Amino acid sequence: MTGRIPSLDALKGRLQWLQARQSVLAGNVAHADTPGFRPRDLVSQEAGGGALSPVATHFGHVGAVAAGRPPGAGRVAAFETRPSGNAVSLEDEMLKLAETQIEHQLAAGLYQRSIAYLRTAIGRRG
Amino acid sequence: MGDLARAIISAASGLRAQAGRMRVISENLANADSTPARKGEAPYRRKIATFQRQVDRESGAEAVTLGRTARDKSAFRTRLEPGHPAADATGMVPLANVNALVEQTDMREAQRSYEANLNVIGAARRMIARTLEILKA
Repeated sequence: MTGRIPSLDALKGRLQWLQARQSVLAGNVAHADTPGFRPRDLVSQEAGGGALSPVATHFGHVGAVAAGRPPGAGRVAAFETRPSGNAVSLEDEMLKLAETQIEHQLAAGLYQRSIAYLRTAIGRRG
Repeated sequence: MGDLARAIISAASGLRAQAGRMRVISENLANADSTPARKGEAPYRRKIATFQRQVDRESGAEAVTLGRTARDKSAFRTRLEPGHPAADATGMVPLANVNALVEQTDMREAQRSYEANLNVIGAARRMIARTLEILKA
C-alpha cells in the first residue's frame, strides 16, 4: 500500500482497538447483576503487524524490545464469582475503563501531533 | 455504528435495568407494612427484579434488560393484633414478606451498578470528544 503513512495507520488501529475494548467493558458493566454472566475482555492486539517494531540496522543498536503486553495477557482469572454465577467485579471494570481512556488519550494525542508534523511539512502553520 | 456508540447503548440499557430494579425495590419498601383488608386474604407478596441478556438488534451491542418480575415464595410475617379485621382465629395478622434490611442492601447494589454505568458513559463521551479534537488541531 503506497501513499499511506504507517505511523498514522498504526495509531488508527490502536484507537479502533481501544474503542472496541470500551464497548466490551460497557457490556460487562451493564451485566454487573445478571446471573451467570462472566466478564469478557479483548485480547491484546498484535504489535501493528511489525509496522512499528524497531529494527536493528546498525551494529551500535541495542537489542530492540517490543513494547506492549504479550498477546493473550488480557485473560485474567475471575477475582470472585458470586452465588448467582456472576463474576463481574465493578472495581476491576472501572480500572480497565480508566486504563482504556488514558491510552486512548495518548493515541489521540500522538495522532494529532503526527498531523501537525504533516502540516508543517507541507508548509502550513498549524 | 461505532464501538463507542455501542458502549453507550450497553451502558444506557444498564441504567434502564437498574432504574427498573429501583422501582421494584421501592414498591416492596412501600408495601412493607401492607396487611390484607379481610380475613383469609393474602397480603402483599415481595417482588424480585430479574435481569436478562439481550443483543440490541440495531447496533449489535450487548445489552441487558429487565425480565419478568418474579414473586418471593417465602412465608409471610405475622403480628399479633386480635382487633384487626384480617386477624385469624388466633389473633394473628399476616404481613407482607418484605425484609427492610434485604431491600436496603439490594438498593445499595442497584445504586452502585447505576453509578458504574454512568461512569462508562462519561468515559465513552470523553473518548469521543478527544477524537473530535483531532479535527481542531
